[in-house]
Parts: sequence; structure tokens; C-alpha cells
Amino acid sequence: MKSYQYIIDYFENAPTIIQLVWVTIFIFFVAVLILTIQLKFLRSRLRKNEKTVAEYRKEYESDLITYLYAGNEEEEISAEQQIIIDKLRSCTSDDFKRRIIVSTLLRLRNDISGEMAEAIQKLYFQTRLISYALPRLKSKKWYIVAKGIKELKQFQVKEVHDEIVIHVNHHKREVRNESHLYLVSLFNFEGLKFLDDLQTSLSEWDQIQLLEVLQKFDDQEIPDINPWLKSENDSVVAFALKLAKIYNQFEVKDALIGLLSHHQKKIRVDAIHVLSHLHVVEAKDILKNNFDQLSEDEQIEFFKLLENLCETSDEPFLLAHTTHQNFEIKLSALKIIKTLAVEKFKSLKYFSTDADYVKIYEFLEYK
Amino acid sequence: MSDAKKIVLAEDNSTLSLLLKFRLEKEGYKLLIAADGKEAIELIEQHNPELILTDIMMPFISGLEVISHVRNKLNLQTPIIVFSAAGQEEMVLKAFNLGANDFMGKPFSPNELVIRVKRLLC
Repeated sequence: MKSYQYIIDYFENAPTIIQLVWVTIFIFFVAVLILTIQLKFLRSRLRKNEKTVAEYRKEYESDLITYLYAGNEEEEISAEQQIIIDKLRSCTSDDFKRRIIVSTLLRLRNDISGEMAEAIQKLYFQTRLISYALPRLKSKKWYIVAKGIKELKQFQVKEVHDEIVIHVNHHKREVRNESHLYLVSLFNFEGLKFLDDLQTSLSEWDQIQLLEVLQKFDDQEIPDINPWLKSENDSVVAFALKLAKIYNQFEVKDALIGLLSHHQKKIRVDAIHVLSHLHVVEAKDILKNNFDQLSEDEQIEFFKLLENLCETSDEPFLLAHTTHQNFEIKLSALKIIKTLAVEKFKSLKYFSTDADYVKIYEFLEYK
Repeated sequence: MSDAKKIVLAEDNSTLSLLLKFRLEKEGYKLLIAADGKEAIELIEQHNPELILTDIMMPFISGLEVISHVRNKLNLQTPIIVFSAAGQEEMVLKAFNLGANDFMGKPFSPNELVIRVKRLLC
């Protein structure tokens, strides 16, 4: 009691600044104490939650495996399977349990194929989980829509095509991306029809994801990509150029040549690259005649094309560019000359005294 | 059941492990399940199984390390089947270089796995 009184006296007689410091210390101490208790509470709640999830997961895993092995050839749904369907269906009304059921089904659905994968999909319908996914497509919250589309894609629900196609131009990138992946994953190249109506930009990452899905299909019959090469949406044109290259679309060479006068430089450069890959000889003369009007990037890409398509008649043109100011063009010109005519290349040893020229020549001479 | 051939299955997807356990036990094999590479090595050292099924990507110790341990440290010639996901082609090549006998790309059919297991254990 005496020491307690001493503390009060000390505080009352201390200068205001000291009193303020003590008050601040006290406030911070209480705040730290409250936060520590709250953190401990949160952690224990999370751990408890984790434990509950693990318990439910174990239970549903076991139900799922029993369901998969309980089928028989006589009945469409055996009595044992029906019991599991009823049990899971009764659990789906609870958000928490439903999430665990869906993730359990997906964990297995993603790793297996064949009859069992189909059986899991059937179970998704039988437990009416789909009736919870469908209203999500109409949600005002974009992330709920995106998650809904993703779930329907993972369970390969083709029937909701019309409800999903309306999201291809959604204002949120995540929703657009999920809807594009849904269409391509479930409808293969046919799903790419959304490109006809795409008004938003398809990012490089979106394009990579789509190409990755497409390459998984056995049927690699690609539809006519001409309309996409002529699209007003530059990202669609860029994507179509990738398709043209990957799927060797030689039949679209006229559209590709048309892209040499596209308003965007990147598209023009990519078009030269694809023309080179497809060995479209017609493109060579067009670009050669127009060489001085091309940007430096296009000129470099054109020389890469020449490396593929050069002929003896190109020699004067190449010779004229061995002293080009751009290093890559110089290198490419000399490299092609060496391939076309070794004797001519040898005679060019002292053609220029430019330091870069000498370096390139020496490099190629001993290569 | 005591004469049943032992198979160690190293897979971090517990649902898949359970499914394969049911399927392979139905065929008369004894399954020993490991949730990661560390557990798998312990089970292999303890039980000396007739076959090892292992996923490539696992917590703590990867499938590649499990193969390396079996072939180089334990000097065992136990047949090994590797599970790989799409995009892990390079890993599969590494697995073969380390001594894996077969591989299955996910998603795979459990029935096909049974055929491969039978072929390796006949």
C-alpha cells in the first residue's frame, strides 16, 4: 500500500512531460496486451478450424472413395451410393461443409482420369452442388463470379455455356480470364469463338494460359484464324499470330502479309517472324522492296527471315547491308553471305575498317 | 495377406492415396502410405517393399530425392513408378536418369496404374 502511494505521489509530482510519457507507455502496454490476447485467440481459432477441416476432409474422402467403389453394373446408383449421396446432399446446405466437399472432389478429379473422373462429376450433379455454383454467376461481387466459373470449369459443366459467354468482356480481368479458360477448356478450339466478340485486351499471360490449355487436346484441328488476324482488337491479332506459328497455318499467309502494314509495330514484327517460320517466300520481296521504310526492329526481323529464305539473287542486297549501322543487321548480312557463297565472304575480309565489322568478320571466319 | 506384395505409395494428395490404396488392396497388394518423401524413405527402409509409387512434387523430400536415395544410398533395385503433373517433363527425364522404371502423367487412370503395377511385379 505504501509503495502504491509512493507511485501515485511520484506521478503527481512529476513534470507534465514525464506524466505524458508514462501515460503513453501505459496506453501502448495495454494495446500490446490486447493485441497479444487477440492474436492468441485468432491463432487458436485458426488451428481449431484447420483441425475441423481435416476431420471433415477425412470423412468426405472416405465417403467419396466408398461411393466410387460401391457401384455395380445392375443399378445406375447402388443403395450404398444413394446413402452417401443423401449424406453429402444434406451437408451442402452448410457453406463450410460444402467448400470442403467441393475441394475434396476437386483434389481427386484433378489427378485422375477415366471412369472414376466421370463418376466424380456425376456425384457433383447428384449432390446438387451445381445448384450452389450457378447462382454465383449472377453475383454482384466479381470474385464470387470468377470462383463460380472456375468451379464449373473444373467440373466440366458444359450446359452453362450461354451464362458464361456473357462474361467474356467483364470489367474485371479475373472474371474475363476465368470465362475464357472455361470456354477453351470445355469446348477446345470451338471455344475460341469468343475472340470474335472480344473488346478487352488479352494479356500475354492470358494468351499463354489459353495456349497451354489448347495444347492438351488430342484433336489439334484448328478453325479458320483469318478473322482473328483481321480483328480490330490488337491483342486478338497478337494471339492469332501465335496460333498461326504454333499450328503452322500456312493457309493464312495472305492475312499475314496484310499484317506487314498493321498500325502497331509489335504486330508487324511478329508477322515477319511468323512469315519467316512458315517460309512464305512472297513476303521476302515485299519487305525487301520496302526495306528503308521499315523500323529498325522490323529490319532486324526481316534479316532473320532472310536467314531462312535467302537465295543467290539476294547477294547484292546483303552486300549493301554489310556496313549497316545496326550491329545485328551487319552480323546477319555477313552470316547469310557466308552461307550463300563462302568465296564471296572471303573476299569481304577488308571490305570495311569499321571496328564492329572486323569483329563480326573474325567471329564468323573462325565459327 | 501377410504374403501380399508390399507397395510404398508416396503421395501428398490424401484423397488420391486413399483411392489407390483401395484399388491396389483389392488386387491383393499391401499398401504403405506416405504423405511426403521423408515418410516414404522411412517406410522403404523399414519394410523393403516390392514396388515404390511416388509423386515428384512432395513436401520436405521430393520424389527425385526418394529415387536417388533408393538407388544410390540403399542400393536397391526395387521398381519405381513416378507420378508427374503436366509441365514436369524435365523432372520425368531426371527421374529416369536416376533409375525410375516407369512414369504416369496426372491425371491418370487408376485401372491403367494397376496394369503397370502388375506388369512390374509379375
